[in-house]
Amino acid sequence: MNEKFALWTVLLRQYLKRDWRKIVIWVLGLGLFASAYVPAFKEIAKGSGLPTMYTTMKNPAMISIVGPTPIKNAADYTIGAMYGQEMLLFCGLFAMIVAALHVVGHTRKEEDFGLTELVQSFRVGRQANSLAVIVETIFINLLLALLTAGVMVSFRVASISLPGALLFGGALGLAGILGAALALLFAQIMPTSGGASGATLGLVGLLYVVRAGTDVSNVTWSWFNPLGWLYLTFPFTDNNWAPLVYGLLVSLVLVVVAFVLEGRRDVGVGYLPERAGRATAKSGLLSVPGLFLRLNRGTIISWMVALVLLGMAYGSIYGDMQSFLESNALMKQMFAATHTSIEASFTSTIIVVLVDLAAILPIAIVNKLFTEETRLHLSQLYVTKVSRRKLYWTNVSLALVAGVLGVALAAGSLGATALAAIGATSKMTLFDFLAAGFSGWPVVLFVTGLAALALGWAPRLGKIAYLYLGYSFALNYFGGILNLPDWFTKTAVQTWLPRLPVAQFNGPTFATITVLGIVLLVLGDLGYQRRDLI
Amino acid sequence: MAAIIEAQGLQKHFGKFQALRDISFTVNAGEVVGFIGPNGAGKSTTIRVLLGIIRGDGGQATIFGRNVWQERLAIHPRVAYVPGDVALWGNLTGGEIIDLFIKLHGGGDKTKRDELIKKFELDPRKKAKSYSKGNRQKVGLIAALSVPADLYIFDEPTSGLDPLMEMVFQEEVEQIKAAGKAILLSSHILSEVERLADKVAIIRQGKIVETGTLDELRHLTRSTVRLVAEQDPHDLATLRGVYDFTQKGAQVTFSVDNSALNTVLRAVTTLGVKKFEVVPPTLEDLFMRHYED
Ligand SMILES: Nc1ncnc2c1ncn2[C@@H]1O[C@H](COP(=O)(O)OP(=O)(O)O)[C@@H](O)[C@H]1O
Ligand SMILES: [Mg+2]
Repeated sequence: MNEKFALWTVLLRQYLKRDWRKIVIWVLGLGLFASAYVPAFKEIAKGSGLPTMYTTMKNPAMISIVGPTPIKNAADYTIGAMYGQEMLLFCGLFAMIVAALHVVGHTRKEEDFGLTELVQSFRVGRQANSLAVIVETIFINLLLALLTAGVMVSFRVASISLPGALLFGGALGLAGILGAALALLFAQIMPTSGGASGATLGLVGLLYVVRAGTDVSNVTWSWFNPLGWLYLTFPFTDNNWAPLVYGLLVSLVLVVVAFVLEGRRDVGVGYLPERAGRATAKSGLLSVPGLFLRLNRGTIISWMVALVLLGMAYGSIYGDMQSFLESNALMKQMFAATHTSIEASFTSTIIVVLVDLAAILPIAIVNKLFTEETRLHLSQLYVTKVSRRKLYWTNVSLALVAGVLGVALAAGSLGATALAAIGATSKMTLFDFLAAGFSGWPVVLFVTGLAALALGWAPRLGKIAYLYLGYSFALNYFGGILNLPDWFTKTAVQTWLPRLPVAQFNGPTFATITVLGIVLLVLGDLGYQRRDLI
Repeated sequence: MAAIIEAQGLQKHFGKFQALRDISFTVNAGEVVGFIGPNGAGKSTTIRVLLGIIRGDGGQATIFGRNVWQERLAIHPRVAYVPGDVALWGNLTGGEIIDLFIKLHGGGDKTKRDELIKKFELDPRKKAKSYSKGNRQKVGLIAALSVPADLYIFDEPTSGLDPLMEMVFQEEVEQIKAAGKAILLSSHILSEVERLADKVAIIRQGKIVETGTLDELRHLTRSTVRLVAEQDPHDLATLRGVYDFTQKGAQVTFSVDNSALNTVLRAVTTLGVKKFEVVPPTLEDLFMRHYED
């Protein structure tokens, strides 16, 4: 090795010593997560579980989330095949992200903190650090691969063979190495460490979305996608080692390019210049609503995306319900007796879950105002023409609008996906789904009111709204099963409201809880006018 | 002279702890009042009571003749305030934050803003998370100095600024003062207050222990005298109002109550004076006298 890499083994030993706890958690956590679900899958496979799962997993919605299987008919769908399809891509993504963050953390981040210059002032080579980090990460991922394979075969499932398990573990390890190589490359290109991790994660996300499309439309295209190389190995079925070879070759190229780029740049700067921000504000920012929208933008967007995806995931199940019912005489009788369809029954249950999840966002937004207060971001704004009332009601309004949007998107995506999955036979319409969602709206208003009440009178108790939501969600769920006394279940606001579309909409109850929620909001305002700000 | 700020016996408790015991002072139009005291004395708390951010629980205070708590909405548009700890949103640039503040304050002078950015040498295109403490302070100052106001309240405004920028700040304060505006300037750095302030209010453990013009306060205290004389001056040590008498070779140094200066002068004329220096007390001395016990 030439002097650029001088003393890299010393650094490597340093890193292994410094990181050993992290490495143990990383390898054990991820390795066990990837391998230890085998018993659970054995449970699922009992009876006619495998063919049923096969049908479910053939659903394009499921394929777009977890990836495809090469199996052509249900009889060949083994536990191994199911494990490979459902677990590999998911765990691979984790392995990739963890490795990428680790590499950025030990390269650009240390540069940004000025540690690198310190180290380099000793006799350590300029690029020794990167080499040490990449070797360390490869080593960790090899451990991960071996541990995963070992644990998997230890369960002694016929379809989980040693070569298959090695391939599964190897694909996981490859994911980590690819992530590390990508991160090392972006660490050279991007102007800051934040930019490097952002670009890496962004690219991984993009590849994930692209492969969702190609997996569903034409799997051949997924062969051109590095993420595809993980699950296209098809462990326990086709056992194809070729993608691993592609992956390793590409990783090697990426690392070499990264080293060449690093050799030509200065410490602490990337190839892309740091993008200067705006010298003046856009008019969209220059108001209290504009400011609050900006402050909550990230949270709102990510919640909306999550709610839509969740709605789609639940919605995609509707297609299999009828076939499930056909195979289960008891259930069929039950639904026939109650004059409700299985779809309607499922909707009324799942919509409560979605509405409760949608209610988290408004609580978060209301609590955000106090977070801003404790961070002292607002101190100077208190002494402007902006009144406390304006701050409070703008915040509350934003929370409520986000709540409405969340419920609409969750119920809407559930409905749209469900209707697409059921096809022409559907007796439900999109309106039924939206109506079911918005019949739960008073819950959102009520918990937002609780959060606002806390904001006004005892802001440090803002978390209570979450607690209440979780408590009432659990009560609502287990209340029916555990046969709890009526007054007790009634402490959960959800239990007051009839569940559409199975039950009938109840106007007075809806109105009562709505009014209660509004009263809480007004009380919160009174407190916010009166209390000391931080 | 119209009183801009008028505080009478202000008190504030935080739970059992009484942060403000008795705060009384006034700030008139065209005056720069230095509000000095060590860390934890209650400067920021006083300011926040005056701005209606927290509610005092005793005494009363008005700004522009209006109650600081009940009528804060009428007061705020005419006040420019820079908090002691300027905390900014990391993801917005300095320029964006300044614009936002100006807009929410009710509008300001765009040319003034740009001029201040240049004077304070702030890069407005940088995200606030990359700013140092001094740069964050500049953002707060530029924002506050760009809006029209009748009262300016600065809480420890120059902490984190380098001396050059401190000068820029002082120039700005002098301009505001010349325009007849009132300024309340809290600080634990005495030299800065001494340069700018017409009046000072000294706060200690939640109590105003002294107020007045610098001259008035100096009068209340002692000057330092250095003297070289032909005859032995050690009799001076026995005079009333003379303290800390030390002799070093031919030179003696002592401090003297300003009220006793005349007695001392009469006594020294008989000693054959070769050198006689009187150094008026600095604010530092003043300050130390209030805190030494
Ligand atoms: N919100 C608060 N809760 C409890 N104690 C406080 C609070 N704010 C200030 N204090 C206390 O009041 C005293 C005065 O603080 P402060 O006004 O910030 O002093 P200064 O600005 O003069 O340094 C300090 O002892 C401080 O710890
Ligand atoms: Mg302070």
